[in-house]
Amino acid sequence: MIEARGLTKVYGNKTAVAGVNFTVEAGRVTGFLGPNGAGKSTTMRMIMGLDRPTSGTVTVNGTPFARHAAPLRDVGALLDAKAVHTSRSAYNHLLAMAATHSIPKKRVHDVIEMTGLADVAKKKVGGFSLGMGQRLGIAAALLGDPQTVILDEPVNGLDPEGVVWVRNLVKYLASEGRTVFLSSHLMSEMAVTADHLIVIGRGRIIADAPIQDIISGKGQIRTRVRTDQPDQLMRLLAGDGVSVELQDNDLLEVTGLDPRGIARAALDSRVMIYELTPLQASLEEAYMELTKDEVEYHSLITTGAAAPVQTGGN
Amino acid sequence: MSSTTLDPSRRGAHAGDVPAGTMSGTSTGPGPSFLRVLNSEFIKFRTLLSTVILLGCTVLVVVGFGALSAWGTGQFSEAAATDPQAAAAFAAQGGDLAVGVPTSGIAFAQLILGSLGVLLMSSEFTTGMARSTFAAVPKRVPAYAAKLLVVMVTAFVLTAASVYLAGLVSLPILDNYNLKLDLASSQSVKMLLVNSLYVAAVAAIGMALGSLIRNSAGGIMSLVGLFFVAPIAFQLIPGDFFVEARKYLPGNTVEPMTAVQHVPDTLEAWQAALVLGAWVVVPVVLAAVLLKRRDV
Repeated sequence: MIEARGLTKVYGNKTAVAGVNFTVEAGRVTGFLGPNGAGKSTTMRMIMGLDRPTSGTVTVNGTPFARHAAPLRDVGALLDAKAVHTSRSAYNHLLAMAATHSIPKKRVHDVIEMTGLADVAKKKVGGFSLGMGQRLGIAAALLGDPQTVILDEPVNGLDPEGVVWVRNLVKYLASEGRTVFLSSHLMSEMAVTADHLIVIGRGRIIADAPIQDIISGKGQIRTRVRTDQPDQLMRLLAGDGVSVELQDNDLLEVTGLDPRGIARAALDSRVMIYELTPLQASLEEAYMELTKDEVEYHSLITTGAAAPVQTGGN
Repeated sequence: MSSTTLDPSRRGAHAGDVPAGTMSGTSTGPGPSFLRVLNSEFIKFRTLLSTVILLGCTVLVVVGFGALSAWGTGQFSEAAATDPQAAAAFAAQGGDLAVGVPTSGIAFAQLILGSLGVLLMSSEFTTGMARSTFAAVPKRVPAYAAKLLVVMVTAFVLTAASVYLAGLVSLPILDNYNLKLDLASSQSVKMLLVNSLYVAAVAAIGMALGSLIRNSAGGIMSLVGLFFVAPIAFQLIPGDFFVEARKYLPGNTVEPMTAVQHVPDTLEAWQAALVLGAWVVVPVVLAAVLLKRRDV
């Protein structure tokens, strides 16, 4: 269990983390979601005792990380895929890490095997791709078979197979009763990986809730509907809290009514529909909505690129 | 800031029924004792090709300069036999030039091993390795002390071995010129030990600089500034203060420590040893304190 109380980090006149409180429970995957520069990495470095909090405390299983008797056996962390000397081989890096805690060589071979690094373990880390670096970082995090696993942006740079692997790995670790805390700036990744979500923006916690609550509670349900009688269906569905937008000749986007309700209304009035797609992308939008006031760097290109799509629909 | 209370009926709330025994929240094995950290630092030290290359270069340079110096000393003594002017100069040196031959490459050994000291610490920060190192050893100082020990012991042993080897190589060369060198004489042994300790001290200063500056180029430049630029600058600047201060530069402590007889207007051997000790202790302790305090 990780507990942060009033955790604050100030760099010069910039507050990276502003008095956050949160608890990461054991036995589930807790996602730490926030845009770049929101304070995710700083918070994780403070958990690992690498950055000293300006004020507040953070403990792992009730004790600050630096006071653990065998830190690597309690907490494993991937903070930065490049936290390795580039001229050393992956195997020697892990061997040196393992030596600090008398972790046997067999465990080094095991984590190399587990993370799929066997073929490159004797090669210099400097030549690794970002994905291989991530795998090495995960191998290092798992070295001490820790009860708490902290992974900062673990899927960054991984190929699709690697992304699925990390997803299954963290779920498996949580199912064993471990505390799993992983950060990402991708809502879609969190939606399929995390059980619980802590959303951070500009150093403040914006939301701390089970993933389902964040998905359904905050986001609105949107459904794409294709029919030959869009006008008729639009009239049928219109009502309190429901908005329907005609996007193409036969394409509607319905907000505020679940697919079942749409299908029921269509069936009752004998309107044929031939597509009914719940839009999971609304997660991303819910996240955008959550963070739009908290994003530090706004990008003009995003809105510019989105504009033609919208005008095309109108 | 909004926050939602946990609903225990949701998935993920099965934390309570974790199989007992597998995970208790407390560690189930040994932690980072000093010997384990030392072992780790030694693994890190020997698994870098650049380190091995620098160590090899040190041996080559010390032995090479020893041989070159033996040849030069021989030429000088030969000239002294025919040229009265050279003979006078030879006599002024005390007649025993050969004893300094094995340690003639020390100036270069200190530069290489001092730079190695800088690099071993600065590269931790430039590569990001420090985050791994200090996550494994969050008390930080044991890792720093272990690295310091590895660097100093290596610098001492390597310098001693190189100097001895340089002596062995120069023996037949000196023999050509009928010059005697006894590697087992007390002065030879003293030269070997003092110079090896000195190089270990320079490596320690380098490591402290690497830790304080956290930048390879900056650390090495500071080291060069202290050992090569400062002595020259202090000589050029007029005034008694700089003449006096020059004696206290770390690079000028070896001669007083190895002198057969005390040379006027230099430090006593014990004073020189204390000065060099201070040059090591102050930056090393300062670096340790700051390492403990600063963010990684």
